Amino acid sequence: MGKTMIMKIMERASGKEVKVGDRVWCNIDWSTARDFGGANCALQFDEITNNEGRVWDPDRIAFTFDLQAPSHSEKVSNNQKIIREFARRQGITHVFDINHGIGQHVLLEHGLVKPGDVILGTDSHMNLLGGVAAFATGVGNTDIAASWLNGTNWFRVPETMKIEVRGEFQRGVSMRDFLTMLVGDLGAGGMDFLAVEFTGESIERASLSERITLCSMVTEMSGKIGLILPNGPVLEWLANRAGPEVYARVSAIAPDGDAPYIDVRRYDVSALEPMASCPDAPDNVRPVREIAGTSVDQVHIGSCTNGRYEDISAAFEVLKLSGFKISPNVRTIITPATREVMLQAAREGMIEKFLEAGVVFTNPTCALCTAEHYGALPSGDIGCSTTNRNFIGKVGKGSHTYLMSPMSAMATAVRGVITDPRDILCQGGN
Amino acid sequence: MGRTFAEKALGRAAGHPVSANEVVTVEPDFCMSHDNTGPISRTFNKIGVKKVWKPERIVVILDHGVPAPSSDHAVNHKEAREFMHNQRAPHFYDVASSGGVCHQKFCEEGFALPGQIVIGSDSHTCTYGAFGTFATGIGRTEMAAAWATGAIWFKVPESFRIDVTGRFNENVTAKDFILKVMGDVKSDGADYMSVEFHGDGISGMSIAERMTLCNLGIEMGAKNAVCEPDQRVLDFIKGREKSNDWEILWADSDAVYARELSYDLSSIVPGVAKPHTVDNYALVESERGVHIDQAFIGTCTNGRLEDLHAAAGILKGHKVAVRTIVIPASWEVYRAALHDGTLETLIDAGCIICNSGCGPCLGAHMGTLAPGETCISTANRNFKGRMGDKESFIYLASPLTVAASALKGEISDPREALKG
Amino acid sequence: MSEILKGRAWVFGDDVDTDLIYHNKYLAETDPKNMPQYSFEYYPGHENFAREVKPGDFVVAGKNFGCGSSREHAVYCLKEAGVPVILAETCSRIYYRNAINNGYPVLFVKGISEAIKARRINDGDMLEVELETGTIRDITSGQTYHGDAVSDLEREIMSAGGLIPYLKAQKKQG
Repeated sequence: MGKTMIMKIMERASGKEVKVGDRVWCNIDWSTARDFGGANCALQFDEITNNEGRVWDPDRIAFTFDLQAPSHSEKVSNNQKIIREFARRQGITHVFDINHGIGQHVLLEHGLVKPGDVILGTDSHMNLLGGVAAFATGVGNTDIAASWLNGTNWFRVPETMKIEVRGEFQRGVSMRDFLTMLVGDLGAGGMDFLAVEFTGESIERASLSERITLCSMVTEMSGKIGLILPNGPVLEWLANRAGPEVYARVSAIAPDGDAPYIDVRRYDVSALEPMASCPDAPDNVRPVREIAGTSVDQVHIGSCTNGRYEDISAAFEVLKLSGFKISPNVRTIITPATREVMLQAAREGMIEKFLEAGVVFTNPTCALCTAEHYGALPSGDIGCSTTNRNFIGKVGKGSHTYLMSPMSAMATAVRGVITDPRDILCQGGN
Repeated sequence: MGRTFAEKALGRAAGHPVSANEVVTVEPDFCMSHDNTGPISRTFNKIGVKKVWKPERIVVILDHGVPAPSSDHAVNHKEAREFMHNQRAPHFYDVASSGGVCHQKFCEEGFALPGQIVIGSDSHTCTYGAFGTFATGIGRTEMAAAWATGAIWFKVPESFRIDVTGRFNENVTAKDFILKVMGDVKSDGADYMSVEFHGDGISGMSIAERMTLCNLGIEMGAKNAVCEPDQRVLDFIKGREKSNDWEILWADSDAVYARELSYDLSSIVPGVAKPHTVDNYALVESERGVHIDQAFIGTCTNGRLEDLHAAAGILKGHKVAVRTIVIPASWEVYRAALHDGTLETLIDAGCIICNSGCGPCLGAHMGTLAPGETCISTANRNFKGRMGDKESFIYLASPLTVAASALKGEISDPREALKG
Repeated sequence: MSEILKGRAWVFGDDVDTDLIYHNKYLAETDPKNMPQYSFEYYPGHENFAREVKPGDFVVAGKNFGCGSSREHAVYCLKEAGVPVILAETCSRIYYRNAINNGYPVLFVKGISEAIKARRINDGDMLEVELETGTIRDITSGQTYHGDAVSDLEREIMSAGGLIPYLKAQKKQG
């Protein structure tokens, strides 16, 4: 019987044949940590090695700073310092300090991620790197510190679910809406412990940003990893950044035609409409149309799920058709995912227009999605955000958040109430 | 006998001539507060008055923690938002690209006007003296009382005259000058006084430079600091002014001063304030080589367009060696720097450009220091623990010196950076 | 060998996310001993957990316990509070790894989610838990539940006391 993509990845990483359910020790290509959890990893590593240990390979470890960049508390500053000093001591040079942006995106931009890689990180959304067929997973500090000892870690070879997507999005509808629909359809536990392969014509056509968006919320369905085999322009981009060996990697991990899937689901996106996750859970999903008119206090566009150039650009399009005006009753914050994204937005004149409209444009970071950074909400406020979690009180006790696409979020910022972006995009303006 | 600026401004507000040491009660032209508006409003509510005396005179600009870095900050903001809404007070600058550091924004919006009286619940309110305004910082309780009554009492201050002649040499700035003055006058040398900057050295300075000077008035203990309002001020406020009731006032040439000093700007060289006091002056030359972990360019002292230009001039085409945080003082500054490519230059050099606000200046946002860390900053205070951990160190310097130091990772002289 | 643990139940629903267990507000904490004070601060109805939990009490939850973030804090805060084992219908994969890696037992208990919804198991119920067999007796209600045993590798890691001691032992052997 054939092998699924995750099985092939784990075979490469473990050097032996695997079957579903096996516990295998995999060689780690990158063991990363960020300013959240990173200090815990460093302190733990020092503790278990009596401050004398050397990491197995300093060139396979990377640190990123995005939790609070720049930090606003002494504790986080100190954690960041612990990481910098640990890196210096261990000869780790891949340190992407507070001026870079969200970790996974930074690793990708720097050409450090290849299809088939096994990557650990202290971020439960590491698995967005499945968008380029890397097996990247969020783990706790013990897993990271342990992997630094000898460059391996254990995994259960998961069953694989296949999701085939066809059809073209209508204007005003995006991959995020499909993703939101999917989270609603499968539920918070819908991919429990599974690997997922996304295939079909809509996926083959999808841009890198769309693929990243789609894979980023596998976590919200309790999946292990969502994988998309790079092809076309995405593969070219990757080869450009990470080197020509990505071609061979892609061939090596392509799933077999007779690979075993525990479940195959088919979706057609051509009739899909803008969707939202309502308070207080990502899988509490309704069409934006049905909640339109709900007033909001703050709109935030950004995060590892939807903070890339295309996302900002999609929001820009909505703002443009609205005459570059947002509602004065809504605080609107845009946070680019990386410095590269920010520079591109600056060079194309977008940031200027956002500012003209009243939007607050921040430096690249995780912003409100993590430890109380830009855009925390007071009790009683309603937020609208392109982030990936809206758990109770996540961005402030007593506040509630709707999750939606960048287009829906900007339409909401423009009108001051939750708005279906098609109301603006398909009627030629506000 | 002639009158000082403070005597004239307070006399105008009181409606009769006044002299130093007299106590007068005046009506403020504007009352400025920031994120502390929430607590002030709570005190106000205790007074038992429902409405503020004149809602159009209350100016609230959120800047200390924007966007809110914690739900506690967010709750504070919400309180300010609701207070201003309920009072139907129109001058509210919320978390939006219309805001910025309160002092910068206050001036850009045309609230700082010659001859007017401004009180602010922030010690650096004295910055507005750059426009010939009598502006002074007060506490929260006093602000609540002023909102309720529209009255505030002052002892008319004695005045301190600083005569300034000449021009700066290249790579020397108003910040270097005011740090030198701080070193001479010390932190209590102008206690309760009104500091007046006179002379052709001042009239040759830009508005931004004058704001830098007046901004540090409080660090000498002054009640207010002021420069003679001239054509540059008139040009700046034209089209911005939020009130018509202003008047150019300046000290008479035979006014009486409690203290006088004079400086020639051509003798000023790059300087720093060493930890942990603003008056701990030293020449950059003598501090060269001190290791730094962070560089910060921004704040109400030095976060204006020409400050960013100065930094970009040094950083262009190079990479910073330490984390370098740049925070334009307002969104107006941000947009101008974005438009002319300055921000791009700074990003390319590895700087991190944050949204406008106070940033790490007071240790609660965007770049707090860890124990043992050293920051070189363009801000106005280097008190122990001001930017974070109590075991951290702050050097204050000009944007040029900060940029030059950022390149090397140690305190460096901008005159050499530009050479090499 | 087959020790029987006895304690009170603290009952939670399905999909208890890591922000509810340990809010992101306190992520900067690095010392596990300081973490229990923040446990369940944001969980509606159990805000008092941190103050009132006693060593030996059990956390009983429905499906997908610990979904969300990778923060190990969410394991430490309960382990350090003296909660000897998590009893949940299922738990998220990262939470599960983090627990195993710390030698902290999680029992997957069939039917517990339904029992919680039907109020057959309630806050304050006295439970007896036999880790070896996975048997859970609710003394208060008289109901019995069964928790799933874990696979060999996880058992080995657990019995070594967690991933780090396990790896160290492996190194010595090999």
